[in-house]
Amino acid sequence: MKATRIDHVGIVVKDIDAALATYARNFGFAADSRRGGDLPALGIKNAFMPVGGSDLEFIQAISSEGPVAQFASDRGEGAFMLSLEVEDLDAAVEHLRSAGARVGNSNNGVAFVSMKSTHGVNLQLVQRKPN
Amino acid sequence: MGIGATHIDHIVISSNDSGTVAQAFADNLGIEIKRKMIRPGTSAQLAFAKLQEVVLEFAGPPQVKPGEEVKAKLWGMVLAVEDIDAAVAHLRELGYPVSDPRPAVQPGARIATVKDGTSGVPFAVIQYNAIPADGS
Repeated sequence: MKATRIDHVGIVVKDIDAALATYARNFGFAADSRRGGDLPALGIKNAFMPVGGSDLEFIQAISSEGPVAQFASDRGEGAFMLSLEVEDLDAAVEHLRSAGARVGNSNNGVAFVSMKSTHGVNLQLVQRKPN
Repeated sequence: MGIGATHIDHIVISSNDSGTVAQAFADNLGIEIKRKMIRPGTSAQLAFAKLQEVVLEFAGPPQVKPGEEVKAKLWGMVLAVEDIDAAVAHLRELGYPVSDPRPAVQPGARIATVKDGTSGVPFAVIQYNAIPADGS
């Protein structure tokens, strides 16, 4: 199992539209309008800004439940999650579980690793290319 | 008009034991730690891995406290820019508090820290090949 690329960095913000406007106007990044939106099942809305070969993902809680809302409550805004691309997500999940890590089931090409298994870093694994 | 960022250059994972955290990423995620060093001046313990164009930097204090639970967090990032002086001037014009560019750990590079206004993410800009090899 090998992580091959930083897919994106998740940043929790209070106001996603304000954050996108700031990063566009002041830093010169452009949001990818094909991705992002409301994800009620996760209690968030998100948007992506490509920077070179990786993305910044801006995440706003739209519910008072869930890890993003908890992070926003505890810390306000900030770097929330690191997303790593792997070649084979199911193999990666199996590998980590066999090493004793707590990992959620893969869903739509994404799996989350428990912060208890990463010394506190919120880690997501993603597979972009189909097997 | 922006800062002329070309890519995310560094992502920093801060912890109270950078060696242990870096090793966990190496063991569990197959990430190769390519370099370890002590930061001049602060004596911070650093370890570096590279995933394509992005460096993953593990940063920790000079000394690890024995028996202390290892705690890490995603901390901040460094963006590579084409012209650090122009990027700093642009950000200052917009009211951002930005440090003066200074030599970075990476040979020939200059780095400046953006101290606020980045959605809570500690943030810096770096330009490679900013210092000629003769230091002039």
